[in-house]
Amino acid sequence: MTTVMLVDDSATMLMSLKSILTKAGYSVETAGHGKEALDKLGKGVKPNLIISDVNMPQMDGITFAREARKAPGMRFTPILMLTTESEQSKRAEAKAAGATGWLVKPVGPDQLLGVIKQVLPGA
Amino acid sequence: MTNLLRKLSVTSADHEDDGLRGDVVAAALDEVPAYCEVVDGHLKDVIEQTGEAAEAIVHQLLNVDSLAEVMAGDVAQLAGTLSRTETELNRVTSGNDQLVGRLIAYFLHRDQQIRRLVDQMRELDQHVKQIEEVSRATNILALNAMIEAVRAGEAGEGFSVVADEVRKLAHRSAEAAHGIGSSIGDLTAKLDGVLSDDSQFDSDQAGPETSEETAMTRRLGGIADAQREMSEMVAGILKDTVTAAGQVQRSSSALIAETTGAVGHVQFQDISRQMLEHVAEAVSDVRRQCEDVASYVRDSLTEEDLLARVISVDDLRRKHVMSRQRTTHSQQTGGPAHDDAEPLIELF
Repeated sequence: MTTVMLVDDSATMLMSLKSILTKAGYSVETAGHGKEALDKLGKGVKPNLIISDVNMPQMDGITFAREARKAPGMRFTPILMLTTESEQSKRAEAKAAGATGWLVKPVGPDQLLGVIKQVLPGA
Repeated sequence: MTNLLRKLSVTSADHEDDGLRGDVVAAALDEVPAYCEVVDGHLKDVIEQTGEAAEAIVHQLLNVDSLAEVMAGDVAQLAGTLSRTETELNRVTSGNDQLVGRLIAYFLHRDQQIRRLVDQMRELDQHVKQIEEVSRATNILALNAMIEAVRAGEAGEGFSVVADEVRKLAHRSAEAAHGIGSSIGDLTAKLDGVLSDDSQFDSDQAGPETSEETAMTRRLGGIADAQREMSEMVAGILKDTVTAAGQVQRSSSALIAETTGAVGHVQFQDISRQMLEHVAEAVSDVRRQCEDVASYVRDSLTEEDLLARVISVDDLRRKHVMSRQRTTHSQQTGGPAHDDAEPLIELF
């Protein structure tokens, strides 16, 4: 089963996205910030896709994306940034950190699942 | 702001000249931090409450979603059962039709055999009549023989006895033939009655009798018709129920799609939370500046430090992260309209 890791400091966002993804048939791992997500990667969690917020406490999403790329087996794993942030400079920063795409909140279920199909064609 | 600071930075003697008293300003500003704190508390309360409400909404939507899925599953199971029942009913109905058809064919065949038997018995009646004719002729011959024997006198006495015996035999043969004929008549009448009599059953519903039809086959046909009618009625009910179940399934699927969409819309809380956090941050900046101004007029903060920390609306603009915030900022400050041409979804 395809596993998606959700990283967001908003419990509402985690619940909402987890519900949408679970119903679509994905297995979901959650983390409240970048550091927690990185810890999970370090403990052997191997998601097929990561969807991360940008502005989070302890470790922001862009730093997390940069660090996640260094984790074993995560070099080519798609990382989507899902954020309220719309600043172009932040996008460029995320792209340089190894993010695969940028989605501005709110994202409808169909839009989100459509993007996932694009980055995970076989899933 | 700079002009105000210049005014505040003059000596206390000048303050009175300008009608501006630092102690009054400081006292007026003293309440601002507490005021801001209350506002900040309210904002945090709103964030907390909307967060809890959003989580509760998601929970309830997920519950509705689960119930809809369970209902869709149950209805699908029911529809499957009904569909199988309909198929089974059709199979049983078809089997019953075939069975009744075979029974009708069997009884028609049996009735034909009985009719042939009756015809053969009626043919026997002709033979009985011939025997009766022969008996009558024999009786006449015996009478003639007796007359001739009487005419022969003593020599014909023995013959007279024989002739009398022959007459008696002829008479007995005629009686026996008549008895056989009567029995055949009774038997054929009774068999005709068996073939045509339906008085003890559904004679009111009996249609016109064809040459081949009998009471039994009519009754079997009636049973078959009634059974077919009932099967059609049940099949109609099953079909309507299957259709209704299909509609419920479609409604459940639509409900699930709606709840999924609603769960997606709960993202508004995260967006509102972040906007409120920015408002709280701005209120905090205003509070700090009020404290700085109060400190300055009390000579516990230098002008340089005050000016270095002074807030500006442009700083606020730089803190905005959302396109919507920038648009609102432009509308409120009368600045250039915010033009965010970046796509909402972008794959690098």
